[in-house]
Amino acid sequence: MQTENKISPYYRTKLRGLYTTAKADAEAECNILRKALDKIAEIKSLLEERRIAAKIAGLYNDSEPPRKTMRRGVLMTLLQQSAMTLPLWIGKPGDKPPPLCGAIPASGDYVAKPGDKVAARVKAVDGDEQWILAEVVSYSHATNKYEVDDIDEEGKERHTLSRRRIIPLPQWKANPETDPEALFQKEQLVLALYPQTTCFYRALIHTPPQRPQDDYSVLFEDTSYADGYSPPLNVAQRYVVACKEPKKK
Amino acid sequence: SQGVPQGPVSWAMSELKDCPLQFHDFKSVDHLKVCPRYTAVLARSEDDGIGIEELDTLQLELETLLSSASRRLRVLEAETQILTDWQDKKGDRRFLKLGRDHELGAPPKHGKPKKQKLEGKAGHGPGPGPGRPKSKNLQPKIQEYEFTDDPIDVPRIPKNDAPNRFWASVEPYCADITSEEVRTLEELLKPPEDEAEHYKIPPLGKHYSQRWAQEDLLEEQKDGARAAAVADKKKGLMGPLTELDTKDVDALLKKSEAQHEQPEDGCPFGALTQRLLQALVEENIISPMEDSPIPDMSGKESGADGASTSPRNQNKPFSVPHTKSLESRIKEELIAQGLLESEDRPAEDSEDEVLAELRKRQAELKALSAHNRTKKHDLLRLAKEEVSR
Repeated sequence: MQTENKISPYYRTKLRGLYTTAKADAEAECNILRKALDKIAEIKSLLEERRIAAKIAGLYNDSEPPRKTMRRGVLMTLLQQSAMTLPLWIGKPGDKPPPLCGAIPASGDYVAKPGDKVAARVKAVDGDEQWILAEVVSYSHATNKYEVDDIDEEGKERHTLSRRRIIPLPQWKANPETDPEALFQKEQLVLALYPQTTCFYRALIHTPPQRPQDDYSVLFEDTSYADGYSPPLNVAQRYVVACKEPKKK
Repeated sequence: SQGVPQGPVSWAMSELKDCPLQFHDFKSVDHLKVCPRYTAVLARSEDDGIGIEELDTLQLELETLLSSASRRLRVLEAETQILTDWQDKKGDRRFLKLGRDHELGAPPKHGKPKKQKLEGKAGHGPGPGPGRPKSKNLQPKIQEYEFTDDPIDVPRIPKNDAPNRFWASVEPYCADITSEEVRTLEELLKPPEDEAEHYKIPPLGKHYSQRWAQEDLLEEQKDGARAAAVADKKKGLMGPLTELDTKDVDALLKKSEAQHEQPEDGCPFGALTQRLLQALVEENIISPMEDSPIPDMSGKESGADGASTSPRNQNKPFSVPHTKSLESRIKEELIAQGLLESEDRPAEDSEDEVLAELRKRQAELKALSAHNRTKKHDLLRLAKEEVSR
C-alpha cells in the first residue's frame, strides 16, 4: 500500500486480510512458546520438589551433616541464577500482571508456599532486627505463622514468624517493555538485597530496568557516605520488594 | 504529496501522512545471535535430549522470543482495529493514535509467501501513509465512486428531519418555567435607568436658522482660509472673512438678524398688546380721516392701564426696546383683572410644535410603560406559582 500510494477499500481489505493472517501466525507462535516455557517451569518445579524432599529426608539422616555449609561464592551464584531464571511475565494482550509480578504486591490473603523465597524480619541475638533472605518451610493456619529457614547456612535455627514479618519475593519478572507499571519507579523506597549478602536493606530506586534481563539500579541508605546514600548498585528484580515500615530509630 | 491519482481505483488524495496506520517494520529476531542455545537445540535430532543444565538458558531465550512475538501480536491487533474502524467510519476524521512504534521480530521459520508479502508491503518504515480522501476538491469524484464503496455504506436513508424541527420550534413555548426565567422577569421589572431621560424636556437650543447661519459662515471662513493658504502663502493677504473668529461671527449674525427682526408690518409689539389695542381702539375706517379724536382717544384709552405707549402719534420709526416685557406685563395685568384666563404653559407650547409633539409622546410612553409593568408583574406572579408547583 505504501509503495503504490493508494488507499482504497480493495487495498485496505487486502491489508486487513494480511494482518489477520499475521495475527493468527503470531498467536500460534506465542502459544507454542508459552507451552515450551510451561514445560520448563514444570521441570523446574519438579526439581524443586525433589530438592525439598531431599532436604527433609536429609534431616532425618543424621549420619552425615544434613548439608555442608555452602561456600559463600556458591551461594551467591545460586542466588544470581535464581534471580535470572525468574520467569518473565508476558501477558497476552489485555492481560494485567498478576500479584507477585515485579512490584505488584501479593493479594491480602496470600500464603507463601513451602520453598518460596521471602524476606523475613528476624530478631538477631543482639536484639537487632534485620530483614533476611529466607525460604518458607511451612505455614501454620492455626497460629498464622510461618516457619522460615535462613537461606544461608541451613544449620541455623528455624524462625517462626508472624505474617507481618514476611514479605514474599516476586515470582515473575515484570517486562519493562510491556508492563512498566509493574516496576518500581525512580525514587521509590524499597527493601533490596545488598549484593554479596543475604540481607535486605532500605534503598531508593535509582533506575528501573530497561530490558527484561536488566537489574534495578538502587541507592542503599548508608550513613557512611556523605549524602547518606551509597552509589548505585545493581539488584535483580527478584530481590527488590516494597518497603512498608517507617525508619526505625 | 506524491503522485497524481491514477485511474478509477484510486480516489485518494495523495497525502500519505494522513493515514492512521503505522506500517511497522517487522524485523525478525536473529535466532543465531540472540538465542544460540535455542538454535542449537533445535538443530539436534530428536534423540539427543536437552541437558538439564541447558534449561535455564533455554528459558531465557524462549522468554525473549515470546515477548517479541506477543508485542508483534499486540501491534497487529491495534493496526487491525484501526483498519476496521477506519473502514466503518468513513466520514470521520477521528484517527486512533498508536502510541507505540516498536520493531518487532518475525521468526524466519514462518517463511510462507504471505509473510514475505506482508514484510514487503509493510517494510518501508513508518513513512507517510496514504491520504484521506476528503479534501473539498475531490467531492465530485467521491460522489462518483459511492457505488464502488463497501456495502456497509449504502443503506443510509436520509433521515426525516421535519418532526424534529417542529418540536424544536415548539420547545420554547412548552418548556417548563425555571427559576432562570423568574430571574429574567425580575430583571426586566427593574425600572430602566434611562427612563428619566425620556421624560426630560431638553432646553431650547439655538434655533436652527441661527445655527445653520453660523455654520455656514464658519464654513465660508474655512474655505476662505484654505483658498488663501493655497493661493497665496503670505500671511498678509488673507481675505476679510478669515480674520473673523467665532465671536465675530456671532456678532455678524446678530446684526443681520436684527435687521430682519422687524416684522413686516413694522409693529414690534407682541400679539397680546396688539389685540388689546385693537379692542380699545375704535377703528372707524368709514369715518373720514379728519376725525381728529382718534389720536386723542387712543391716547386716552391707552392710558387706562397706563402701560402702553401711543405709537401712532409718532410718524418717525421708533424702537421700542421692551416689547417682550411689555407683553408679559400686559398679560399679567389682564389675568389679574380676570379678563384673560390664566393658561400657563399650553400657550407657550402652541408656538412650539416640536415641544408639543415631544410632550404627546412622553405621555404615551408613560402610559405604555405603566401598562407593561403591570403585565410583567402578573407574569412574574404566575411564573413564581408555576415554579413552586
